[in-house]
Amino acid sequence: MSEDSGAALPPYVLDVSVLAEVARGDRGTMLLLAELDSRGRPLILPALAVTGASLDMRDDAAGELLEGVGRLEGAFTAPLRDAEQAVALAAVIAKTGLDPWDAHAAAVADASVCHILTLNGTKWRQHARDLDEPLYFIEIADPDDEDR
Amino acid sequence: MSERKTRLTVTIDPHLAAYAERLVDAGKAESVSAVVNGALADRAEKDRRITRRWEETVAAATDEDRAKAARMLARIEEHTGR
Repeated sequence: MSEDSGAALPPYVLDVSVLAEVARGDRGTMLLLAELDSRGRPLILPALAVTGASLDMRDDAAGELLEGVGRLEGAFTAPLRDAEQAVALAAVIAKTGLDPWDAHAAAVADASVCHILTLNGTKWRQHARDLDEPLYFIEIADPDDEDR
Repeated sequence: MSERKTRLTVTIDPHLAAYAERLVDAGKAESVSAVVNGALADRAEKDRRITRRWEETVAAATDEDRAKAARMLARIEEHTGR
């Protein structure tokens, strides 16, 4: 399958809910990410979202699965690069009241104007208008599996 | 590995260079090159382990897992129109 239409596809930002499923070894979520990657869709892993997902599942296997997402061809980890970004993240936390891991996903999505992939649409609906520009997200959970 | 070593010029952080030299001075490594070689070998092994973990987990996917992935993909496509 290919989404190749000549233009580069905009990335998706993975939030902590998606990354936590990977950490738990959820094969459906892993297959989805592998499929998106094979279609040339860049995937951004906010470093603090990886931290949040890792807190959710503390063992070597979970850590290796999280690192495995970062090794997909089009995946890259968005770090907190410098003091300026760290201060900007604090501003997002203050404005939204989100946890640092979600705030980092919000900051990355806001800066790169791209969608957040999430299993928790309720959270992002609550915070989508907290910043100067709206946050865009795609809820990928099954309707009967939402809002964990 | 028995093949001939490749000569390589690399730039590393001063504190790491100092650490490698301390290992050599303490007799815990044969040379700075051996320290760097060992670190790269460790990194390669870690990369292989991570890739293996990912591939083995995905390879164990059931029809239910594949159906779940397809439903999530459909939700994305509904949203983006592609």
